[in-house]
This record gives sequence, structure tokens and C-alpha cells, in this order.
Amino acid sequence: MTALKLTDVCKTFGTTEVLKNISLEVEDGEFVVFVGPSGCGKSTLLRVIAGLEDATSGAVEIAGDRVNNVAPAKRGIAMVFQSYALYPHLNVRDNMALALKQANESNSTIDERVTEASRMLSLDDYLTRRPAELSGGQRQRVAIGRAVVRHPKLFLFDEPLSNLDAALRMNTRMEIASLHRSLETSMVYVTHDQTEAMTLADKIVVLRDGRVEQIGAPMELYNNPANKFVAGFLGAPSMNFINAAGAVELGIRPENLNLSESGQLQGQVIHVEKLGGDTNIVVTLTTGETVTCRLFGQHDHRVGEQVTLGFDMNRAYLFDASGERIEPS
Amino acid sequence: MAEQTGKKFNWHIVVFLAPAVLVYTAVMIFPLFNTLRLALYTETENIRQFVGLDNFRTLFGDPRWSESFWNALANNFWFFFIHMLVQNPIGILLAAILSHPRLRFAGFYRTAIFIPTILSFVIVGFAWKLILSPIWGIAPSLLDAVGLKSLFAPWLGREEYALTTLALISVWQFVGIPMMLIYAALLSIPEEMLEAGEIDGITGASAFWKIKLPLILPSIGIISILTFVGNFNAFDLIYAAQGALAGPDFATDILGTYLYRTFFGFQLQLGDPHMGSTIATAMFAIILIGVCIYLFGIQTRLRRYQF
Ligand SMILES: Nc1ncnc2c1ncn2[C@@H]1O[C@H](COP(=O)(O)OP(=O)(O)OP(=O)(O)O)[C@@H](O)[C@H]1O
Ligand SMILES: [Mg+2]
Repeated sequence: MTALKLTDVCKTFGTTEVLKNISLEVEDGEFVVFVGPSGCGKSTLLRVIAGLEDATSGAVEIAGDRVNNVAPAKRGIAMVFQSYALYPHLNVRDNMALALKQANESNSTIDERVTEASRMLSLDDYLTRRPAELSGGQRQRVAIGRAVVRHPKLFLFDEPLSNLDAALRMNTRMEIASLHRSLETSMVYVTHDQTEAMTLADKIVVLRDGRVEQIGAPMELYNNPANKFVAGFLGAPSMNFINAAGAVELGIRPENLNLSESGQLQGQVIHVEKLGGDTNIVVTLTTGETVTCRLFGQHDHRVGEQVTLGFDMNRAYLFDASGERIEPS
Repeated sequence: MAEQTGKKFNWHIVVFLAPAVLVYTAVMIFPLFNTLRLALYTETENIRQFVGLDNFRTLFGDPRWSESFWNALANNFWFFFIHMLVQNPIGILLAAILSHPRLRFAGFYRTAIFIPTILSFVIVGFAWKLILSPIWGIAPSLLDAVGLKSLFAPWLGREEYALTTLALISVWQFVGIPMMLIYAALLSIPEEMLEAGEIDGITGASAFWKIKLPLILPSIGIISILTFVGNFNAFDLIYAAQGALAGPDFATDILGTYLYRTFFGFQLQLGDPHMGSTIATAMFAIILIGVCIYLFGIQTRLRRYQF
């Protein structure tokens, strides 16, 4: 069964078109990540799904029912906001329980669900605290708990990790992944961070300027990008683009460039990043382009050094002038 | 080096504080304490005499004084009660309506409701006196036009209605202030929090009671104490509408008008600065007690939230 189906969804604010003919499906239990640069309409799309904005045209179906005219609370969804949006006057328990109380659930159901969620998210010690007395990571978990207690058919996350520091972000990412495994509920997750997208998703939807650029499993998009935008967006450091014959551009992933005396490209090292496990060297080619080469392990290179880089043509991608991928024939 | 700066007296603090301290002392602190001091004296045959708390004994013990005082105090509480019961709930309601995102002409309504606040008491008092006048007022003819003439009464002229009518006029004049304060508080509630509520099914009236109201309680507290202080210092509207005798038969007499008559005298009554100061001191005490109850009893229990 499909948990979510969008058909030709458009959204305009006044005269600005923010979403243009978005069609996609989220299968039951699937973890789908919407990724794209800032301002591409990810949040707007999520809000249309949640019902906080109305779609200008097109159909939104959740679990088989068209919900365009259904109130957010009745759509069977739960949403986690970037700012957490906890109720500051209520303690953790009441924050989680409020939606259930509003829906007139029995006290035993409320207790049971709150207990379940707080155990799952290790919030047991904080149930009587108010949001102001919690750390960022704890608030984040309360926000997730508030979504979990509602037993939704679909979870919506809008950049839930962007207010956390790097270490906590990685932990919370793992927690969200394990939450998904244990709940087996469909999740839609918005981020502009391609690492989050690659690590969490069953399926990635790449958006640009309100359009879907490509949909697919992370490795499918990584290995087989439909166009230059997707190729450049996924992967860090991002893909190198080099002008080849005519208007054709050659795309090479940094890890597919290597140092070899017999290589095709010559240039000068302008920057070296030693990460311990990897070494990234940034090279300005004789043709003027700047490329990044990712070497495994630790290497000693100095800025100013002349290097020759080589690559395997079978691992390169070709793009035409409009950025579309030219499939190898 | 550190020792040197530790010992050095910071003259600039004194210099910068001095102007404010001097001005405030001259126009606020000195008159206040002088009034408190005057309450301890009396004047016989042009000689000022220290009498301790005798004036207070007269004010609370002599029925000629105390009856008027208790009458004014009770009236003042009623005046305050009407404001709390009518002005503040209406102010909150108006603010809730104004903050509705789909309301059109919100700016216009906001300004229109706020305008009476900037009018002079004299204008307001006089205008309402004319409106409600049984002889030339438009209220009787307006009621007549809709066939409700029987409802009309000379509201300002009847003992049982006059004070309530004046309180409602004051409410009309000042409802814009709680409205503005609450409106600002409502606007400061983050949009995402209300949207989280919307997803939780908390919309419309329940969003107001369960999310917005708890978050604006501190503002409501501030408004209550401002209303209290304002009402117990009130004078102008009553004086403009009913004169210093606060008629009919002192039915609209509040502490401010009572103080005025006593201090400056009116018609056959001679002014008595010492008894006047005594009343002023009593008013000061009442307001001080009220403010203390608020500060220590209520405000400490209201939580403020950082968004
Ligand atoms: N209420 C609105 N009125 C007009 N334009 C809006 C409104 N909301 C969003 N937009 C516009 O729609 C576009 C997409 O906004 P959206 O918030 O969906 O971006 P986003 O992909 O979530 O970006 P980010 O990664 O920065 O959060 C932006 O150009 C924004 O200016
Ligand atoms: Mg966004």
C-alpha cells in the first residue's frame, strides 16, 4: 500500500510558483528524504502534505484517502518542527499528552502511549520538566515523542537536526533510523544536508526550484544521476566538472581521481585537507578549472606542488550543455 | 595594578546618576515624603502643630469623615471591579480577534479602538454627558429609533447607575490599552508553535485556552496591576462628568474626588491640606499594599517563557 501519494501538486504564493507539478509516492514503511538547496520548496511541500498549507492544485493522498480538504489533525500524520515548537508552559509529559487529550483518548491510553514513547526515547527522567529545563537534544526527543504518541500513519520531519551540534546530530540521526526500524511507519524527512539524506533514506527525492529532479535509492542516485544538478548535489566533496570536447562536460567523483604520472590532467595544488582517514587535495588545472581529488589514507602534499591526476573514463559521467546526462552508448 | 583600580572610587558613576537622582528627588520623592509628613500636622489659628496620628484617628474614627471615606473606597473598588470584569476581558477578546491572520482591516480596527485612549478626560466626560443627556442627548433618540425607548434612563443622574455608567465610559476610553498589550504578547507567540498545535488538533477556541492564554498570563498580570493603580488614582473623568461633588449624592465619589474636595475645598467646604494629606497617605498605602500583593503573591507565580 502507498502511505503517501502526490499527484501533480502545485503551490503558488501570490504570483510566485513554489511547487511545480510534484508527483511522488511513499510506500508503507519507507523512509523518504526530500533534499535540495535552500529555498527549493522542501518545507512548503512538507507543509502541503501536513495540511498547514493548501495545495493550489493536484491531489494529496494519505493511506489511499484524498486529504486535500481534511484538517491536519485528521490526516493521520505527525510533524516534527525544526524549532521543536514545544509548548513552553507544559512539562514533557503534558507536551506529549496534549494531542491525545484533545482527541478525548482515555487516561489509560494516554498513560500507556506516553510511557511507551518516553521509554523509546529515554525521556523517563525528564517527564516532569518543562522545555526550558532541557538541553537541545532532549527537546528534540520530546518533539519526536510528541509525534510518536499519536501513532500516525506518516511522520513528517522538517530539518529536525539542524539546531544540534555535529556530534549530537550523528547520534540523533542514528536514533531516528532505529526509531524507524522499530516503528516501521513511513517517514518523510526534509533536509538540505546530503549526508543525512544518504545515510537515512530508503529513497531520496531531489528537489530544485520546486521541481523533482530525480527520485531513487541513495546509491542509485549516486551512481546514476540523471543530470548534473543531482550529480553535484550528492556526495562530499562534490563531483568535479571538467569541460570536455565541445559543449560536453565531464563529471568525475573526487574518489575516482588519482595521482599518476601518466594521468590526463596536470595542475598545481592550491589546498590540502588532511582528515586522517582521507586526504582531499584541491588542484587548479592548467585549463583553469579547480578539481578536488580524494585520496584514501594519509598523504603528504604541499600547496604549490605540481601534480598529474588520472581517472578511468568508465567511471566518468558526461553531461550535455543543458546539464542532462548523456548515457554511454 | 589590580589593587589600584580596586581602591579607586568610580566618580563617573556618581556623575552619571546625579541628574536623574536629583530630578526624581525634586519632583517625586520630596513631594511624596512631604505629603506623608503633612499628614502628621494640623493647623489651628494659622499655627502648624504636630499631632502624630490624630488625623488618621479623625479620618477613620469620626463618622463625618469615615463615612465619606468608606463610601469613596467602596465606590473605588466597584470602579476597579467593573474594569477588571469588562475592560480586560474585552481587551483580550479584541486582541485575540485582531491577531487572527485572516482578519482584514486589522490596522484600521486597532487604531479606531485605540484612539479614545489619547483623548482628554475632559472631552470624554463631556461628550458622554451630552450623549447620555435625557434632554439633548442622542442616546434617547437613538433608542427611540429602534423602539427601545423604554430602556432609557438618565444613567448619569441616578444613584444606582451613575458609578457603573462612569466605569463603563472609562472602559470605553481605555480598552485599547489591554488590547494593545495582549495583542503584542499574542504576536510574539511563534507561528510554529501554533502550527504544532494545529497538527495536534488544537485549533480555534482550544488553541486560545490551551496554548495562547497560558503564554499571555504575564501580560494579563501586568494589565491587572496597571488597571489597579490607574483606578485607585482616578479622578479626572468623575470630575469632568459629575463635578467635584461626585453626584448624585456622592454616588460616584471615589478616593481621588474625595481627596480633591478635602485638600482644596469645594463650595462651602474649606480646604484642609492636612486632612487632604491624610487621605493621600491612605491612598498611597492602599495602592502600595495592592502592588505588593501582586508583586510577591502573584507575579512570582506567573512564569515567563522565552521562545
Ligand atoms: N508564505 C509564503 N509566501 C510567499 N513565499 C513563500 C512563503 N513560504 C515560502 N515561500 C517561498 O517559497 C520558497 C520555498 O520555501 P521553503 O521554505 O519551502 O524552502 P526550503 O526548501 O524549505 O528552504 P530551507 O532549506 O532554507 O528551509 C522560497 O523561495 C520562499 O521564499
Ligand atoms: Mg525549510
